[in-house]
This record gives sequence, structure tokens and C-alpha cells, in this order.
Amino acid sequence: MRDTANFNSPLNLYQAEDEATIRILRITGGWEVRRSFNELGIQPGDRVRVLRRAPFGGPLVIDNHGTRVAVGKELAEKIRVERLP
Amino acid sequence: MKVALVGQPNSGKSTLFNAVGGYRSLTSNFAGTTVEYTYGQGRVDGTVFELVDLPGLYSLTPTSPVEATSSDFLLAGRWDVIVNVLDASQLARSLELTLELLDLEAPLVVCLNMMDEAARKGMKIDSKALSAALGVPVVEAIGGRGQGIVETFRTAQHQIAHCSRPFIYAAEAEAVVKRLAERISADVSVPASAEPSETTAEANAPSLASVAVAEAATAALSPPPRFQALRWMQSDPHELWQEKPALASAVEQAQAEIARRAGQPADAVISAARHAACLALFERVVRVTRPKTDWREELDRAAMHPIWGYPLLLAVFLGFFRLIFDVGRLVEAPILNAFDTLVALLTQHLDAQSALFAGIKGAVQGTAGAVALVLPYLLPFLVGLAILEDLGYLSRVGYLMDAAMHRLGLHGTATLPMLLGYGCSVPAVMATRILSSRRDRFIAAFLSVLVPCSARMTVIFALVGFYLGPNYALGIYALNILVVAAAGHVLAHIWPEISPGMLMEVPAYRLPSPRVVALKTWWRLREFVLVAFPLLVIGSVILSIVDFLGWQHSINAALSPLTALLGLPRSVGLTLIFGVLRKELSLLMLMQALGTTHVLAVMTAAQVLIFTLFVTFYIPCVATLASMMRELGWKLTVAASGALLTLAIVISLAARGVLAVL
Repeated sequence: MRDTANFNSPLNLYQAEDEATIRILRITGGWEVRRSFNELGIQPGDRVRVLRRAPFGGPLVIDNHGTRVAVGKELAEKIRVERLP
Repeated sequence: MKVALVGQPNSGKSTLFNAVGGYRSLTSNFAGTTVEYTYGQGRVDGTVFELVDLPGLYSLTPTSPVEATSSDFLLAGRWDVIVNVLDASQLARSLELTLELLDLEAPLVVCLNMMDEAARKGMKIDSKALSAALGVPVVEAIGGRGQGIVETFRTAQHQIAHCSRPFIYAAEAEAVVKRLAERISADVSVPASAEPSETTAEANAPSLASVAVAEAATAALSPPPRFQALRWMQSDPHELWQEKPALASAVEQAQAEIARRAGQPADAVISAARHAACLALFERVVRVTRPKTDWREELDRAAMHPIWGYPLLLAVFLGFFRLIFDVGRLVEAPILNAFDTLVALLTQHLDAQSALFAGIKGAVQGTAGAVALVLPYLLPFLVGLAILEDLGYLSRVGYLMDAAMHRLGLHGTATLPMLLGYGCSVPAVMATRILSSRRDRFIAAFLSVLVPCSARMTVIFALVGFYLGPNYALGIYALNILVVAAAGHVLAHIWPEISPGMLMEVPAYRLPSPRVVALKTWWRLREFVLVAFPLLVIGSVILSIVDFLGWQHSINAALSPLTALLGLPRSVGLTLIFGVLRKELSLLMLMQALGTTHVLAVMTAAQVLIFTLFVTFYIPCVATLASMMRELGWKLTVAASGALLTLAIVISLAARGVLAVL
């Protein structure tokens, strides 16, 4: 399911546009970061929609299987993603 | 029978608890409201049972102290049956905790709460199929409307002798897990835990016999080896070495084996497998049709708008405080007058020079203060806060404020404790537990104590607002925000650790139910009536007697360096001490010490302002100090108190200087 070739995708979650649908490839940044995302049901392979973002480098809101989560910039940058059509 | 209510944050545990347990638990539309477990008693079909409402947790491998509270309680095994409450509209994610709970191999009932919300999202859930797949009973419920609650607890009663079976989701890791589990059970020398999953009881009699059975089951429980193996393989490596040094190398070996095979860390492999299993379960039991879009989407379009969100936020809070002020002011004057008449009447019937008169006068003035000065502002505040909480607006505030909070060295999640700080500092300090780093917890606690709580709000509104006008009161709030910002900035410099950042669920809006708002207001008001009110009356009586005995002069003399420094009348010295018990006491006693409710007759407007500023910022009340001690330890509490006292003096002096120039 996971395409290893994309693991080095240059795109991180924070760079994804509003309203874009993306797939999470990898969560970098160690145990705690991984756990925090996993707890909220966010895992590599998930299809996620970016809903909106707050100004001044604020968080973005993503929709993952109907759960909405606000992700701060520094955490969003730890997620490698790819755009989906 | 002891029932543990377990579920992810915001899944409606507290609503269930309240429905049968007599309203002991606060609910709100924000992850992390319940930070301590609450005990209660429930009654269903005439059977009384014990209930424990646990703080919400996303998984049994905790990442914050709130979650640790719940998971420690669960693993200690002092319960007979778990009721796992799920937000049906978040089924896929909620099932992850359920799968972990199945591994406990204990009596378990799943309560599919918020079925109405799921229907709104276009989800049709086949709960029978879900029950079959999980191997435990699944009860549908709409907690807010009282549906399915009795059924849930009835099912729990029948389930007490049936233990769940583990749900194998990570087949590729199972062999390694099994080996580690064997190692763990070999390590445990206590023979009772050798066979955790077998209970030898007849199931269908939830009577006296089943209690004994349940006790036996609990004794045999102490998390099953397989559960422990899985948990340690996913846990924080530091925690592992700290808590289980004997096991650590075995666990690391197992982790390495899985990591080698899967090319990813073991915890990622296991949780990814669990996630996949949940999604598969979801696909199997849920049919999704078109969701209904409604006002919630529209509301978020405005409330979370990158530009309009901010004026809206400002309008909401300005409107909120304006409303409190208007309601309070309307009531304050007539009640104060009534009590003044009462004191005048007393003078006619009692010897004004007797100790008895002094005592009675103190009691009347204490009651007057509580009823006329505090309640009129407190009550509308509590109602408003309950509405904002239940609606789900507070997490939107967290979203909007995240960028600003970065300037304070924090992030958006810390907005919750700080907003709660406007109500009462005690729950605010406790709510800092939702933050995962200790440094963030300290800064958030310090700042939320700095925020004027509702007690200080009554001082601000009843003194400055009432005598100088609402703009001055709002000015104090604005100044406070600036001070909070500056303090946060300084703290972030002193302690420049990078905080992990915001990761917070944004719950769907819910229409606040009048019943819940009323109950919540009452529950918080009770705290005032039972704890603060007696303190206020007793404090007033003491002040009156101190006054009668003539002791106030020496106390005020001792405090005169401070009062002189701030340019305040000598007679207010005593009131500042009492303010440490309850902040409202300073207000009440000010009137008493001055001997009038017409403050401006004896104090200048500038003095009223400086007095209020000092009371707003100096050392927190004893209840807050106690909760800070518990959360932060005494060293940080003493340091924080010293810093606050210094800050209060500096601000008051600065205000004195500015006012003198003007």
C-alpha cells in the first residue's frame, strides 16, 4: 500500500493547500510525535483533507475519517505527504 | 459492582455519569475537561452500584498526565466492569481504544453514544455486526437525550462475569508479542495472575454471588501478560527503563526484532496495524451516505475565518463581559441599599458598642457582600461560560490563538487552562495537565493564575466598574492581557525549550442544552455557596471583632510600609491579608474597613484603581496555592507567588506614577 519511493516526498503537511486532499506518507520526529498523531487516529496511509488554516503561521485543520484536528505548524511540518487528485 | 466509565475525550462519559450518578461530573465540548476521576453512585433497576468517571484518554499508552491518570486507574484493576463510551460519529478512531481495552481480558461493554450525531453525518452503524466482531455487547445510546443509558448499565450488570478476548490485529507481530508475554508471566511470581482470563462463574445472576465473582476476577486481573507485552512495546523508551528496568532489555530485543522485519519502529508497526484493523471494522459495520450540512459548517466558516474569526472572538468576549457587567450592576445597588438599611436597623436595637453587635454586624456585612457584590456578577458569568463551553467554541479560540500563544512560549492547547482561569484558577491549574511537557504546564499554570478569576472579576466590576465606569473595568482586563503576554514572553526566554506544538481535536458544535447549562452553573455555584460563602461571612465577623478589639491598628501599622508605598489609606492594609483566603474578601472588607459602601467618599478614584490592580495581581488565594502545590510542587509555587507579589507591587506603583502625572 505504501509506496517507498515517495518517502522522500519534498512536501510536508503544512505546505499542502487548503481544500487539498493528501495522503500521509510518514510521520517523522520520534516517539512522542508519532504517538500523539496515532492517538488521534492519524497514521501513514490515511487520506486527509486540509480544511482551513489560521493566519500568522497558525495551525491548520484537517479532516481525517470525519475527525477534525487542529495541527500546529511545527507538527504539521513533521508530516510527509503527497497530493492526491 | 464498580463500573469504570472509559472513553476518548469528548465521547460523553460525563453525560452518562450524570444521568445515573446524580450530576457530579462536569461535561463540556472540549477535550480534557475531566482531569480527575470522579466517584459516584448510580442506580438502575433498583440496584445501586459504584461509578467511576475517568478522564478521557485516546489510548492506554498515555502521552499526557491526564491520560496517565486514567490508564493507571484502569491498570490497577480496581473495578468490576468497564463501560467503554464511544462517540459513534467518530467510530473509526474511537475503536482504537476499544481494541486496546479488549486486550485487558476483562468484563467490557461498548456504549455507542451520540448515535444522532452519527446519523447526521450520514453514518448507518450495524451495532449487531460490531458486537459480533468485537465479541462484547454493544449498546446504542444518545446520552444527551437519556436514551440507551439504563440499557448500558443493565448490560454491564449482566456482563460482569464475562471477560473479553483479545482482538488480534498485528498478526505479524504476534509471535514476538507472545514470547515477550511468556517472559513477563515467568517474571511474575504471584501465582494468582497466572490464569487471568478464566473466571469460573455462572453469568446470568447479577446478584450477591456475582459480586464475589467480580472480586475474584479483579484479583486475577492485574493486566494480562499479553496486554503488558503490547503496552511496553509501544511505550516511551525512557519510561520503560525507569519503570521496568528488569524487563527493558527483553522489550528492546522484541522491539528490535519487529523493527528489523517491518523496517519501522515497533510502536509504529503495532499502532498502524490497530489503525488498519479499525478502518476495516468501520468498513464492515458502517454504511455511509451523504452527510447533512447545516449551521455548524456555516458557523465555522465565520468562527474560524482567517480574518473575521478575530473580530468575532473579540465581540464574543466583549459582549460576554458587558452582559455580566450590566446584569450585575442592575442588581448590586438595590441589594447593597437593603443591607445598609438592615445595619441601620440593627444599630437601633443593639448596643453599638458591644461585641455582640460587632459580630452580628460582621455577619450581616459578609452576607451582604456575598449576595450583593459577588453573586450578581458570578451567576451570569457562570451561565455564559457554560454556554460557550458546551457549544464547543473554546477549541475554536484555541485554534485562533495558537499563533499568538507561540509568542508566550506556548501553543493553542494552552488556551483552555487560560480561558478557564477567567472562571476559577483552581480548575485552570488542574487543566494544565492536558499539556504534555512539564515546562508548558508550569508556564500555562502561571499565566492562568495571572488571569483574573471570577472572584477578582467581582472586585474589578463591583469596585472599578461600579464606581469608575465599565471602560475602566475593561481597561484592567486589557492591561491584564498585556501583562500576561509580557510575563509569557519573559518565561519563554527564561525557559526556552521548544514546546511540542498544538495537536487538538476540533469537536463538532453542539447546541447547549438548557438542562446541562443549568446543572453546570449550579455545580460551580455550589462551590461558591459551600466554600466561599462561609469563608466570606466568617472573615467579615473576624474583621468586625478585630475592629472591636482595636487590633486593626497594629496590623495596619505593620502593613503600612506597603499601603504607604501604594498610596492607599492605612485602613485597607488588613483587607489585603484577608484577600489571600478569598479574593472577594478584600472587596467586602474594604467596605467594612472604610465603614461605608460609598467608597468614593473616602477613597480617591486613583486609590480605588490601584487597590483593585494590586488585588488582581498579587498572591493567589489559598485554594489556588494548594492546587499549584499539587501540580507544580512547592518550589515552583513559592517562586510563582513571589513573582506575582513583586509583579503586583510593580504594576500598582507604575499605575500610581501614571495616575499622578495625569
